[in-house]
Amino acid sequence: MTWDSFLYFSMGSLLLWGISDISAYISREKITPLIFRAGGLILFGLFIAGLWISLERPPLRTMGETRLWYSFFLPLAGLLTYMRWDYKWILPFTTLLSAVFIIINIANPDIHNKALMPALQSPWFAPHVIIYMFSYALLGAVTLVAIYYLVKGEKLKNTSKIMIMADNMVYAGIACVTLGMLMGALWAKEAWGHYWSWDPKETWAAATWLGYLIYIHYRLKKRSSNKTSMIILIIAFILLQICWYGVNYLPSAQQSIHTYT
Amino acid sequence: MNNSSRKIWENPWGYPEGFIVAAGVVLTGILLQATTGKLNPDLYAYPVNVFVGALFVIGLLTIYFIFNKSRSVRWFSTVYSTLPAIVVLLVLCIILGFIPQFPITAEESQLPLDFFSSLGWYQMTTSWSFVLCCFYLLIILGFTTLYRTTRRQSWRDIGFYLNHLGLFIALLGGVLGSSDLVRLTMTVSKGNTEWRGTTHKGEIVEMPLAIQLDSFIIEEYEPKLVVIDNETGRILPEARPESYMYEGIGKKTQLAGISLEVTDYLPYAAVFRDSVHSNIVPMKMDGSTAALKVKATHEGITQPVEGWISNGSYLFPHSILQIDENRSLAMPPQEVKKYSSHITLYTEEGKTEKAVIEVNKPLSVNNWMIYQYSYDDSKGKYSDTSVFELVYDPWLKIVYIGIVMLLSGAIFLFVAGPETNNLKIEKIAEIESDKIKK
Repeated sequence: MTWDSFLYFSMGSLLLWGISDISAYISREKITPLIFRAGGLILFGLFIAGLWISLERPPLRTMGETRLWYSFFLPLAGLLTYMRWDYKWILPFTTLLSAVFIIINIANPDIHNKALMPALQSPWFAPHVIIYMFSYALLGAVTLVAIYYLVKGEKLKNTSKIMIMADNMVYAGIACVTLGMLMGALWAKEAWGHYWSWDPKETWAAATWLGYLIYIHYRLKKRSSNKTSMIILIIAFILLQICWYGVNYLPSAQQSIHTYT
Repeated sequence: MNNSSRKIWENPWGYPEGFIVAAGVVLTGILLQATTGKLNPDLYAYPVNVFVGALFVIGLLTIYFIFNKSRSVRWFSTVYSTLPAIVVLLVLCIILGFIPQFPITAEESQLPLDFFSSLGWYQMTTSWSFVLCCFYLLIILGFTTLYRTTRRQSWRDIGFYLNHLGLFIALLGGVLGSSDLVRLTMTVSKGNTEWRGTTHKGEIVEMPLAIQLDSFIIEEYEPKLVVIDNETGRILPEARPESYMYEGIGKKTQLAGISLEVTDYLPYAAVFRDSVHSNIVPMKMDGSTAALKVKATHEGITQPVEGWISNGSYLFPHSILQIDENRSLAMPPQEVKKYSSHITLYTEEGKTEKAVIEVNKPLSVNNWMIYQYSYDDSKGKYSDTSVFELVYDPWLKIVYIGIVMLLSGAIFLFVAGPETNNLKIEKIAEIESDKIKK
């Protein structure tokens, strides 16, 4: 499987996810949206697996390859949230955001080749990046919740349920961020001689981590404002964006060891 | 007590006091930087750091056991001090992420002379303000953990201790241990034995071990072909440069609008040039180069062009194949797949050991880790020199205890979720009943 088939697989998946979104609004049962969404995920997953086999290395090296995982994990995060918390709107929101990343990958495809620099040839490579991409998807989904909350504002009912949902998503998200970051630290010790070097990517990873810690600690007080909590989530997600790809454009990161493409 | 009519510094302290104290910590750091100058990590090397660490932990425990009824001490274990401390550390991290950083070895004269340099922020992680903020966070983590033990314990506290105590241990070990970290490079040529390392300042240090380089092997990926612009030498198409990695003789492909067929491949070739032609012959020797024979056609030419393309080596020049007056086929240097040093290691105790060191596969000997660092890239895959990095970090085990606790704490967080989940069932029931009433 080569990158050329991405168009067909991604459009097929998007179609299935779209049907799943619509069926969530029409059908009373959760089973129909679940089946279509899972179908789309399997189709997309097949493409990732095929690409992995044909490249003979994990497809996680280039920016476009990380976007590929992100467009896979977002609809999954949306599905998990829907199954657990019953909010239908999270389905089309995550599908839409996933579509944005798919379109970027179609319009601006990466050069794919089999080469993988020696520093990346490690058993840590796949778990480190995959768990990070999963956390980015979860935290992306909770950012959608925050935007939804801030836009709807006073009109929302059941705000406490939305807040509990946001808490759950952030806890799962920061747990994955922590795992990804510390796996990165253990790997860095194996590859570069030190577990933490304050490389720009590491600095922004720490900033992202601190951002979500602020949310968690702020929420511990019962008198905390929901609106402020949601604004913290959006700021933390901006830090995450800088960490993911923003660093590549920062003058402070020109000698970073984390820029591969 | 009514919180809203409370004056500042009146108990119970809240977020305003938290931000004032945290800002005070940064300010103290800035003043220290201005008066005592930049922090010299060498002054805190063993045994000073052990002493500082012991004093810090004993100090925390003493204050806790004597003043644990004090509201001010207790305040350091609350969200009101924690949150501002994290915010201030985050702000320093963001500044660290934006302004370029200089190595600790850089002289004063190498740093830009402006506002940031007087704060020490061009070397943020060794600036007084940053280090003091880390210690302030450690004080909060310490008190928070200690006060937590006085509560009635539940299973959820496992996650709390793993995360907070884990971070305390990893952070304290990391901050104190950074003064003891030693990183040296050692360059060894094939057949020779070396026991002297070079520090980043260029000083030569004798090591308690010696490395003999038995052989150094570089594996490369298959060669690639690109189409280049004859004038600029840039890879085409310029907006999105394409390349084709060799897949086998007889394979055909499209590259930047040109149809290619690989008709022959020599992994080891020599290039001989006379006045008219260059001849490519198979020859396996040091310095031989990879060569591909390619037949190229594209619209607008009647006769396909065929010839050898090679990326050359330190011994032979590279060869390109001209397609028309604008474009040529070329072969960039091959990408490195793997490089490994086969060594014999001698230690002071008289131990001899054979080992292979690769990137991502360091060798650990008596608290030293030996890494594959570099090689002589002017000779590429025929390099007969290997460069190692030797790292000594006696605090690593302490930091790893903290990291393992944090990893377990993260798994705990993932599984258990937020504490509010305990109230969830009643709360949702309440919400549902509200709905029915409406």
